[in-house]
Amino acid sequence: MRHFVRSAILATALVPLASTAFAEKIKIAIGHQSMCTDTYTAGIVIKELGLLEKHLPTDGKYADAEYDISWADYSSGGPITNQMLANKLNIGVMGDYPLIVNGAKFQETDSLRSLYVAGTGYNLKGSGNAIVVPVDSDIYSIDQLKGKDVSTPVGSAAWGTLLKAMQDNNIPTAEYALKNQSPAVGAANIAAGKIDAHSDFCPWSEIMEFRGTGRKIYDGSEAGVPYLHGVVVREDLATEYPEVVIAFLEAVIDAGAWIKEDPMRAVTEMEGWTGVEKEVLYLYFSQGGHLTLEPTIKDAWVDALKFDHGVLVKEKAIPPLDFDAWITEDYIKAAYSEMGMDYAADKATMVDPKEANAGLPMEIWHARDGVSSYPTMPEFLRAVAEMQGTGAKLNATYVYDSETGLKLFGKTAFWVRAGDDYATFLRKGEAEDYAAAHEGTVVTFDEAIADFVTEG
Amino acid sequence: MAVLSIIGAEIRANWRRMLGQGLLFALLFQVLMLVALMVRFQALPNYMTGYNWPANVLLIIRSTPSISDMAPIIREEWLLEIGRMNYDYGTGISEWSLNVIPSRLVILTALGALMTLCMALMRREGCSTSLSGTVRATTGVGAILVAMTNATMSWVVCCATPTWVVGLAMLGLGVSSSLALERIGPVMSLAGFALLVAMIFFLAWRRVRQRIDLKGAPFNA
Repeated sequence: MRHFVRSAILATALVPLASTAFAEKIKIAIGHQSMCTDTYTAGIVIKELGLLEKHLPTDGKYADAEYDISWADYSSGGPITNQMLANKLNIGVMGDYPLIVNGAKFQETDSLRSLYVAGTGYNLKGSGNAIVVPVDSDIYSIDQLKGKDVSTPVGSAAWGTLLKAMQDNNIPTAEYALKNQSPAVGAANIAAGKIDAHSDFCPWSEIMEFRGTGRKIYDGSEAGVPYLHGVVVREDLATEYPEVVIAFLEAVIDAGAWIKEDPMRAVTEMEGWTGVEKEVLYLYFSQGGHLTLEPTIKDAWVDALKFDHGVLVKEKAIPPLDFDAWITEDYIKAAYSEMGMDYAADKATMVDPKEANAGLPMEIWHARDGVSSYPTMPEFLRAVAEMQGTGAKLNATYVYDSETGLKLFGKTAFWVRAGDDYATFLRKGEAEDYAAAHEGTVVTFDEAIADFVTEG
Repeated sequence: MAVLSIIGAEIRANWRRMLGQGLLFALLFQVLMLVALMVRFQALPNYMTGYNWPANVLLIIRSTPSISDMAPIIREEWLLEIGRMNYDYGTGISEWSLNVIPSRLVILTALGALMTLCMALMRREGCSTSLSGTVRATTGVGAILVAMTNATMSWVVCCATPTWVVGLAMLGLGVSSSLALERIGPVMSLAGFALLVAMIFFLAWRRVRQRIDLKGAPFNA
């Protein structure tokens, strides 16, 4: 009897130990990019707000699961793919061109595959990538880059944009010197005037504009190909733990909702997490910003990715990619369903900045009072003049490109004064055309403000 | 057959020295690359990261179903990264680094061992000065081809991944041209090894010839 009791006590004591020993440990290793705004809803926001933990399943086969979540921050998508191949990461978030390389590299192997399971955000016209020149440069258009030194992070989405832009403008590779520079080095070289032009992805161009070191001469929107980012997962994770992938995508949806709920709060928090200035982030995440946060996989995205693959094939031997095998909507549809949202409705919606931003008010970010809105140009310019007159510190001002509807910093826009009216443009050429057509003059931001400065 | 037995005997007699000098060569090559980076960029490294190579390799083996897929993935696994980080923007970006990659260390050790074998064969043979110069030059070309194509320096201007063409780019060759040459790296490496092996066979063959000549020569001629 004593032996039986002792055995029973021992068995009881060992039960929790045994359950711990057999608890399944599920590794979720995510590669993200804290210096790429379009990835934030599948990266830094989920990480910092703990949104993944909120959605991970804890019942059924996951009742005893122990989650081992880790985050690794990279400056571009390429290394994320290498780490995913080695299974040190099983989820990655990156831009369109690196996504294609990811799918193709996995399909090049005999036994490994990745799946493109969701988007994070997009700009329908392709804004986000841009080519920037030093602020004092006399280069204003892409055709002036013939014979010049142009740098870009090779393999990135910005590299793809540069190739496309050069191809569209009939500038063969032999007619310019392509240099491979990371965003930080490219930005430093633009600031120092050591390179003629630098092509980069979001938000580097705007960082250079905001810091007053660079000026855009080409925006990705000119290519007219949507610019998008997305989430790729290793197929073995998706097959073995589909609910984990769905939970991650629910967190992506949550992250987007958190930003839209209060963009000012979001950009302020994100500045602390990433080191990117909040005024730059506001250009992306505010109403009328560059980025539409929405994770559905639209047919147009698949077409855009196929187009991007064609560009890469032209320039560099990359492996073929079976898009049908690589792209799946199953997981994001399941995430929408779990959250009681209408996937089809979101998928059918396209936000075109030209239409969506028409009539949106201009904005002034006052260092102390925050952001205020102005429906007309004269009201906006008068307010800027008055605030400057009091010596107030203005963090930034925001206007819209008359041609594309893109949100711009007031100080970097090309201004046209035509009678009592004003218009703003991203590119100098279009500003000049508009001025010629409306008997106007191209002026600087300061000259436009000066029109509203009252004496005394 | 006689050629192979001479090579075999030489390896048996010198294997410790071959291994030791091979390892020493591989390690010195890492130091040389680091010095080259510091001189080229006029800056000292400001970070060092160690990687759990055995654990990472085990993970790859466990999670890669196809054996043919394992080798290329394992080949790129790092043991150590020493470089310079730029903290001007965001959380920091590595500008340049030396990546110590075990698969490359193995290749460089093999290269060092082959060079040692070449030298040992040459010493025993007592080559004429002109032939010795030719042998040394050919061995040198082979060694340079192998060593150059197994350099593991990384530079943001050149893909930010450890590739042998970084060395060319650092020497001033255009990035596009360097990257275009990247694909022929394995061929150049094989050519280097082929040169070294051919030289070893040539030296062993000459030794066989010398023995035959000695046997056939009259004693008091």
